[in-house]
Amino acid sequence: MAQLLEQFINGLVLGGIYALIAVGYTMVYGIIQLINFAHGEIFMFGAYLALMLITVFNIPFWIALPASMLLCALLGMLIDLVAYRPLRDAPRLSALITAIGISLVLQNLARMIWSARPRLFPTETLPAFLVSEVNMQTGEILNAIPLPGGGILPYRDVFILLLAVVLMIGLNRLIYLTKIGKAMRACAQNRVASNLMGIKTNQVIAVTFAIGSALGAIAGIMVGLSENITPTMGYYKGVAAFAAAVLGGIGNITGAMLGGIIIGLAEVFGAGYISSGYRLAIAYIIMIAVIVIRPSGLFGKSTGTRA
Amino acid sequence: MKDKLTRKNIILGLLICFLPLLMYGIDDIVDFLSRYDIYLGWPGGEYMLRIIVRAGVYMLLAVGLNIVCGFTGLLDLGYVCFYLIGGYTAGILMARLGVSYWIALPLAVLHGTVWGLLRGAPTLRLTGDYFAIVTFGFAELFFRIIRNEQWLVGAPNGQLRGIPAPTFFGITFNQNWHNYYHILILLTLVIFITYRLQHSRVGRAWVAIREDEQAAESMGINVSRYKSLAFAVSAAIGALGGGFIAQFQVSISVPFFDFWESILILCMVVLGGMGSIRGAMIGAAILGSLGEVLRPGFIIPYQFGNARYLIFGIILILLMRFRPSGLSLKKA
Amino acid sequence: MRNWLVGLLIVGFVSVLGCQPQDKKNTSTTQTTQKELKVAVAAPYTGGAAAFGEMIRRGAELKEKEINEAGGINGMKLTLLFEDDAGKGSEASLVAERIANNPQILAVVGHFNSDCSLAGQEIYDRAGIVELSPGSTAVEVCEGSPWTFRNLYHDGFQGKFIAHYLDNVLTGIESVAVFFDNDAYGRGLRNAFVAEAEKIGLTLVASEAYERDSTNFKAQLTSIKAKNPDAIFISGLYTEASLIVKQGREAGITAQFFGADGVDSPDFLTIAGSAAEGTYLTTPFTFGAGGAEAQQMAADFETLHGVAPDTWAALTYDAVGMIKEALEKTYNAEASIEDNRKAIREHLASLDTPEKGYEGITGLTYFDIKGDTVNKPAYVKIVKDGQFVAAEKQLSELK
Repeated sequence: MAQLLEQFINGLVLGGIYALIAVGYTMVYGIIQLINFAHGEIFMFGAYLALMLITVFNIPFWIALPASMLLCALLGMLIDLVAYRPLRDAPRLSALITAIGISLVLQNLARMIWSARPRLFPTETLPAFLVSEVNMQTGEILNAIPLPGGGILPYRDVFILLLAVVLMIGLNRLIYLTKIGKAMRACAQNRVASNLMGIKTNQVIAVTFAIGSALGAIAGIMVGLSENITPTMGYYKGVAAFAAAVLGGIGNITGAMLGGIIIGLAEVFGAGYISSGYRLAIAYIIMIAVIVIRPSGLFGKSTGTRA
Repeated sequence: MKDKLTRKNIILGLLICFLPLLMYGIDDIVDFLSRYDIYLGWPGGEYMLRIIVRAGVYMLLAVGLNIVCGFTGLLDLGYVCFYLIGGYTAGILMARLGVSYWIALPLAVLHGTVWGLLRGAPTLRLTGDYFAIVTFGFAELFFRIIRNEQWLVGAPNGQLRGIPAPTFFGITFNQNWHNYYHILILLTLVIFITYRLQHSRVGRAWVAIREDEQAAESMGINVSRYKSLAFAVSAAIGALGGGFIAQFQVSISVPFFDFWESILILCMVVLGGMGSIRGAMIGAAILGSLGEVLRPGFIIPYQFGNARYLIFGIILILLMRFRPSGLSLKKA
Repeated sequence: MRNWLVGLLIVGFVSVLGCQPQDKKNTSTTQTTQKELKVAVAAPYTGGAAAFGEMIRRGAELKEKEINEAGGINGMKLTLLFEDDAGKGSEASLVAERIANNPQILAVVGHFNSDCSLAGQEIYDRAGIVELSPGSTAVEVCEGSPWTFRNLYHDGFQGKFIAHYLDNVLTGIESVAVFFDNDAYGRGLRNAFVAEAEKIGLTLVASEAYERDSTNFKAQLTSIKAKNPDAIFISGLYTEASLIVKQGREAGITAQFFGADGVDSPDFLTIAGSAAEGTYLTTPFTFGAGGAEAQQMAADFETLHGVAPDTWAALTYDAVGMIKEALEKTYNAEASIEDNRKAIREHLASLDTPEKGYEGITGLTYFDIKGDTVNKPAYVKIVKDGQFVAAEKQLSELK
């Protein structure tokens, strides 16, 4: 029972991170029908940029966090401006290949700038409550909630979950209660018509990229806190998050959030109880199963060939 | 492509036919000169042949991928999946079960074709984006199956060793020049088939699907059937390449078939210009041998060796932006 | 028209030359007054394993410098050629062909990754050139070709050694769990360990896999914890092992962690932090256990490269030394390249007893009939106060 609870928590924390990334995929897809393969790499850049701000420029963590989000938002908008916007009316395939190209460039750029060696945020630069530790000699637990099975739930993981929930609610409000949110929804329904109605679609798309990238950046920093930072992190986490977006019905933001949690839980329970060798494959299996059984996703509208 | 017996083509043909002899001939000249202490920078005919054979395998794969990506306009992110299936089917049959290459190769192709159809089936009624996702997922799944299921290969990480070379009436085809003619024959066969398909009713139907699926459907083209045919032919060619590489490399393991290999083949097709057989081959010849051409030059700053995929990425972006038809002269 | 004809003539002429019988080619390669002896060092200088390749290159460069400063090999200069295999088998087979075809290269030190050594094996075998690996530990590397050698133990030995160490040297270890990297190295080592553990009566309670480059291990660790093992053997590389140790402690695992030579890197300590404390690991060589010559080499290495050498640098240093010794004893400037290459093999193969073995900084190396190093010890290190130190109790002989 204790094990079940622990695995559940493991899955929730992982799922929260997937949800944050998945939203970025799904928002862009919803609005310009493009699988933005580069989104995983933006997530990775978020972590590296925050690391650079903290270690090279000695900026405190609480400032580096929003600064990295801002930089990633700019990066996302830049990618849209330079690479995707000129291809808006080109065949689908061109944009998809461009997205792969950008993903390749960003990933290998990171490898060249920061090397393939894994990095961590230096402990002394982080706020104290984010650094959890178990002292092996004394059994003393620092900044964490003890769990019944002997494990701990670090405050860091609680923080990640809370932050994910807050950001998700915020995003939901933004999309359903603000003017820009309304414009985004309009563009998602029909871009040409929205343009005719006087909505500046290019601006709306840029904002979409910015929001998705900023959320990706924050997810990257969270992963940097609890795991580590490597040039390939965007690829692995990105794929799982993408599966979450497909599961939730690609283009559907609430679906992506729930999809993220489900993929996180499925991955953890699959690895814990079925076969750990196929841990990363679980996301792919779910992804393929969804496409075979219900292509519009768990929460998407049935749209047939439209999507 | 109006082929004529021009002098240029005859020379090219002769060059292709006698390439191994040319390579060994240069070897002899270099040997002769080295007796007088004259050393040319010739890296050796066997090595050159090996590069050429490998580029030939990539040409085969690029032509195969071009059928799905170029003709029907669907993005295949997991083409390496068939390469893997072909390689391991042939490899396991030959190395572990002692089946002759001449039987193992057709079985590998058949096996690949079956998976090509199965993989494409769920996406037939959906748009290309879903196809891209499924292809990616399939390739990663197969990669992990070979890696995890040790009983299949008999060693960890899909490390399959000692795949025997094909024999024919007591002659063992294990030399590089054997493999050169071997891949040349396979490539000619594949190009002939694809060329005939491209210029038939089938090829025109594929292009119609690429340009506008709904219009094609309403013109009476059975979209599902033609798409399935494209998946099957493409998969068969990929598996053929895999079957060949298994005996060529003698020992294979899963890193041969990772995701980046799919991307590399895709880059070849895009570089050459999607929808053109000749373009796919040129793209494969360039990217398939680029790494070796650059090898002596890149030996000093090792960091730049890592930049290879960065450069590929830039190539993809620039081509899509400024020249979607790639290097080929034909407008795609 | 004339241009084409000339071209055709050249093609025809050269082709006819190519038709000459192959064996004539061999005899014509007599080497005249060669003042340099060339040896290739093939390793992953780019790609994911580039960090290992870097140390291999540095170790080889140090030995090259020392040899040449001491007057070279019988008065001839030793030149090392560094060939990059990027850690991939497909690249390695091309590199192998490139090396085998260079009529000036006498022997190969390499490759590092077992995949690469195996991919090159067939080509080196066909060309008749020695492949002496300073890093491939997969059991199969030396099987099937008389031309492959290595100067370190293989995973079969290492897995066995770890099982015995856990059982005999450490006290109170009854049950073990294995957490392995799902690739050639991790799985091969795991297989060897599990086979031996079962034989000597350690209870294997769990065997979980993880993927290279993954960073979240909580799920597997939680299920390992539920089985409550006394020790957990991590069969993988330091990049993942450091996070496993860290997340394992967070998950409340109090068992003893044990790693293999893949964990042997300073990065393990920096990433795992205080969680690394008390982790045991095996290594083919550790400078702490080496003699005076090893200390001297470490000091020279630091002056030349500015960093401390690691295990792989030391093993490469010795491998180059072995090739040098072979060249010294066998090289004949009058003989053909094939004969010289063969003589190196014969020399290495003759090192088959402890008396004839090569005494390097990493210990005594001699080979069995397959080319595997026999009886080269494994060392055990432990993390103490954030440093690797040699463990108090070593296991010198395997029963």
